[in-house]
Amino acid sequence: MTDRPDRETDLQLMERIGWHQIKAVEDRAMKRNFWKAFAFMSPAIVLVCGLLLMPVVYNIYFSFTKWKKFAGLDEFAGFSNYAKLPGNPYFDTAFYNTAIWVAASVVFPLAIGFGLAVFLRGVAFGNVFKNIIFLPRILAPTAVAVIWFHVYAPHGVLNSLLALVAGQPVDIGWLYQDNTVTPAIIATFVWQSVGLVMVLVLLGLSAIPKDPLEAARVDGATNSQTFWHIVMPLLMPTLVVVTILSVLSGFTTFDLLWVMGVAYPGQRTLSLAVFMYFESFQKGSWAFGSAIAVIIGIVVFSVTWIQTVMQNRVDKMTR
Amino acid sequence: MALATSQIDFAAIEARERASTKKKWPSVVVAAFVSLIWVVPFYYMLVSIFKTHAEYTANNPLSLPEGFSPIADNAISAWNTAKMGAGFANSAMYGIVGAGLAVFFAAMAAYGLTRISFKRQNFWFMLIFAGTIFPFQIYLIPLFFAYQKIGIINTHFGMLLFYTAVCIPFPVLVLRNYLNGLSREMDEAARMDGASEFRVFWSIILPNCIGPMTATFLLQFTWIWNDLLFSTVLGNREEVRSIMNSLQIFHGSYTTAGPNLTLTAALIASLPAIVLFLLLRRHFMEGMRVTGV
Repeated sequence: MTDRPDRETDLQLMERIGWHQIKAVEDRAMKRNFWKAFAFMSPAIVLVCGLLLMPVVYNIYFSFTKWKKFAGLDEFAGFSNYAKLPGNPYFDTAFYNTAIWVAASVVFPLAIGFGLAVFLRGVAFGNVFKNIIFLPRILAPTAVAVIWFHVYAPHGVLNSLLALVAGQPVDIGWLYQDNTVTPAIIATFVWQSVGLVMVLVLLGLSAIPKDPLEAARVDGATNSQTFWHIVMPLLMPTLVVVTILSVLSGFTTFDLLWVMGVAYPGQRTLSLAVFMYFESFQKGSWAFGSAIAVIIGIVVFSVTWIQTVMQNRVDKMTR
Repeated sequence: MALATSQIDFAAIEARERASTKKKWPSVVVAAFVSLIWVVPFYYMLVSIFKTHAEYTANNPLSLPEGFSPIADNAISAWNTAKMGAGFANSAMYGIVGAGLAVFFAAMAAYGLTRISFKRQNFWFMLIFAGTIFPFQIYLIPLFFAYQKIGIINTHFGMLLFYTAVCIPFPVLVLRNYLNGLSREMDEAARMDGASEFRVFWSIILPNCIGPMTATFLLQFTWIWNDLLFSTVLGNREEVRSIMNSLQIFHGSYTTAGPNLTLTAALIASLPAIVLFLLLRRHFMEGMRVTGV
């Protein structure tokens, strides 16, 4: 420090010790590092870009063409594919059913899973019941769909149980009728997904520190006060994650509807995901199908965006 | 401690504990009743696979089977009708190789993203992670046509390629978070001793990532094993189709197979994933904890 001339500014100091050279060396190192890192990242980047991101771009492009069957890929259609969507009777029903799906796949698994988690925590043999309820989760959705397809069959389990209650034979075609098919498949979805919600809520509950609970008890808080003012806020992050997962899976479920809806005449209207498959892979309306896929994408995108906003808010709340 | 043990009323505590368990007996009954909803379909599947077709149609679906012997016929017939041998081999290959490669590539990418400093790391991470934010429906049409054009539709290679790609982004997120929390002292020391980047990755980082890699591998393997959508679109020929797709045989309008056969096939197809789950429950739970999937 002794040889530092008087009144040397920082800038002059940096000039004197040659910061340009230092920066150049560092930049070179960064550039070299980038290629090193890129070598490690390249398989992932190439595969993700080639098989996931590129298709998204192409799908959006297709949705603006007149592509149907074997022609029209080079004709620009503007927004006409999107304009055709509302008013198409299949689309309207599919959209309506999807909305029901999403609402139901959030409300029911969450309410039931949450209720069971809280309830089973204090029950003897709670672990046995938890494992039983979690069981469907380890079956493939296709297998679950096959089982429930036969449970709902005219001579299936459900009708035979109902006959037991009613005292006379029941033969409702649960999966053949307009007004029962969606609730029936939703019930199966709920049956399968409650276990996971329950486990996640239990994990969230067990992560809650004991101290605030003790403090509340010592201060004379009632059970419901403790629940609403301490447990619920601490559980919020888990609940947000679970809700978003349910919305997304409700939106994109294909296997259940495809396998269970096979006997239903209006299968294509069961959800947007199925409608999209029908329009493109069975009818050959590729451009139209692409437009439906884009709509699904937009909705999923907005849900994910809401999740980020909510998660940030929750993070701020709990911090 | 100010409080001597003699001052604690153990008897009262014990009585309170006993009272709280006793009070819970009615709720055990409620819990048992509720879990019937989950037990009955499984029970139904288990009794049905022991019935012949005639037996199934003649009796109540919930009745006990007359004997255990029809299961052998059901299994053989289901196996042959759906050509499940090929389906098993294909799905096992897609699952093991696809998920294995995906997790390995993800570990490499996570290493590059966390252990080598370069500009715009976040951009490259987001680029890879973007693969998880789109619904699967948006990939279908372009992939189907690209695959046709290149000529890899209905090939093992094509299926494997897609499964590997789609299973990469998520493990990248998990492993990147994990590596960020892992101490850098070991790899710095190795670099000082003149180890190459690949050597550091291979002998220091990989052995330390076995836990999260196993957890993500299991999740991705199960996803591939259970997938029906992409197998239907990209590999619908008999030689390449996956196990879940081969179950579809029983479901078309041309099928004459009884529910006893269909349910047997569904159970056989699910067995590997179930066994894997039961054997490696801890890893699955760990995976669920980090991911919520």
